[in-house]
Amino acid sequence: MHDFQEEASDSNRSMKSATGDGAGSECSRRGFVVQAAAALAGASALAAALAPLRHFASDDIPTIDEFLQKHYKEMTREDKERVFARIHDAVQKRYGVAPKLLDPPPMDGVEFVYGLNLSRCIGCRKCVHACVQENNLSRSPEIQYIRVLEMEKGSINLETANHHYDPPQVPNPEKYYMPVQCHQCADPPCVKVCPVEATWQEPDGITVIDYDWCIGCRYCEAACPYWARRFNFTEPVLPDGELQPNMAYLSNRPRPKGVMEKCTFCLHRTRVGRLPACVEVCPTGSRKFGNVLDPESEVAYILKHKRIYILKEDVGTIPRFFYYFDERGSRYHEPIAPYTPESDA
Amino acid sequence: MAEEGINRAGHRSGFAILIVFVLLAVFLVISPFTFENPALEPIHVPAWCTDISPIRQPDMAPEYPVGVFTFRCNDCHKIIPPPANDRIREVVQHREIELKHGINTWCLSCHHSKNRDAFVDDRGGEISWSQPQLLCARCHGPVYRDWQHGAHGRSNGYWDRSLGDQSRLKCIHCHDPHEPPFPPMPPAPGPNTLRMDSKVDRIPHGGRNPLQLDHDEPTD
Repeated sequence: MHDFQEEASDSNRSMKSATGDGAGSECSRRGFVVQAAAALAGASALAAALAPLRHFASDDIPTIDEFLQKHYKEMTREDKERVFARIHDAVQKRYGVAPKLLDPPPMDGVEFVYGLNLSRCIGCRKCVHACVQENNLSRSPEIQYIRVLEMEKGSINLETANHHYDPPQVPNPEKYYMPVQCHQCADPPCVKVCPVEATWQEPDGITVIDYDWCIGCRYCEAACPYWARRFNFTEPVLPDGELQPNMAYLSNRPRPKGVMEKCTFCLHRTRVGRLPACVEVCPTGSRKFGNVLDPESEVAYILKHKRIYILKEDVGTIPRFFYYFDERGSRYHEPIAPYTPESDA
Repeated sequence: MAEEGINRAGHRSGFAILIVFVLLAVFLVISPFTFENPALEPIHVPAWCTDISPIRQPDMAPEYPVGVFTFRCNDCHKIIPPPANDRIREVVQHREIELKHGINTWCLSCHHSKNRDAFVDDRGGEISWSQPQLLCARCHGPVYRDWQHGAHGRSNGYWDRSLGDQSRLKCIHCHDPHEPPFPPMPPAPGPNTLRMDSKVDRIPHGGRNPLQLDHDEPTD
């Protein structure tokens, strides 16, 4: 307390001298230089802080329309028409392709479920690239929804998994492969953490994002136990002429910079009855997709009759993505010795 | 006197701090280090990576092309008698076929001995060449059961058959009947993320793949 008082009176004295009465002109000149330097430093610091604005493109500043755009769920039919027309024009201007921008609603009595046969997957990664092409994912910086893990045999241990494998040929007989993508959880943690409700679960089980409502806080990326959400650090970069023009507002339309995106089970395809791109491209038929509410569907059969594995079941997110196995597994690595009469003896 | 000394020292150090700030601000405004985008060049993805056609395009007919001609199997095998017993012997024709299919040792495990335009069933009857799955089902019951329900094998087109067609492939669209394991193939390009490639030196984790544990020696 005593020290503090002394200090205070000390500074009082120095202030007095800086304003310069007794000691005279020398002090006030110095005071002026110091103040000028402080002002200069302040101005330069402000300029430095504003320097990143030089990289601002005109596209980065939202128009009044964009700024006032409502949340997807609050848009009326007229709002949607206006917004979709604007997005259509923006995409055409940027990519030179007239998109077919749709907004297919969830189908009644449909809940999508995905099955993936771990006994048959060979780790060829064709699903990864079919997905990238179908969903207009950025090629640089690279965004991929599917991550194919090369796993050690004998357990399902993600700690020893590797997704950078690159042998001349797959499958490696010593390993097995486990592709991971959005599990479309029934209790999605990514939805719970979103501070602006830009992401939600649709009635058919697909968790979607309103890219124009997302603020890019990346909470959902941190919350997801399946590493299924991706962030657009830049405007997505697509090679010329590779824009896939069949798009939906909630799935594969080109994303803006600074928003999250994720697998939507290709809802622009699946909500009109088609199979997702990853299912269609899989050379081994390891990927299965369908309506679990239809007891005749492939996925209903799989859930009823096959051995199922749920990744990170213990975190309680209730995924709609099921890994399954065949009775004897895939036997590609186990050649059976041909029968000879001697082997009988 | 002492007061003045303190003042002067205070001004001097304040001035020095200001100089540092000004220099820093000038440095930031000029920003001599240009921004280098850490995103790598897009990788080339070959067209086969997104090709949805099946790996085999088998003829679903008992035809055998020889040069410009195509023969039905029975064109020759009607004349040539079938082997009299099941002693294993070298084939003199069709030598391009190497039979590596489980415990099968000869052609007539699957091909009908009297009518070579058909396959043989368990009772010596005929299975049409267009229905090879019935032949496969003789041994591969569980897989056939799964295939019938769509849990095995490829589907393309529509999951909702009321909205469009769904194509189902048969066994031999993926499996060579004479050597059935699904053939290995080169993998499509892997993830080209920041921690790979030549820029590995100036990235975190010391260029080490953080997903690879220390006891895993990276293989080339």
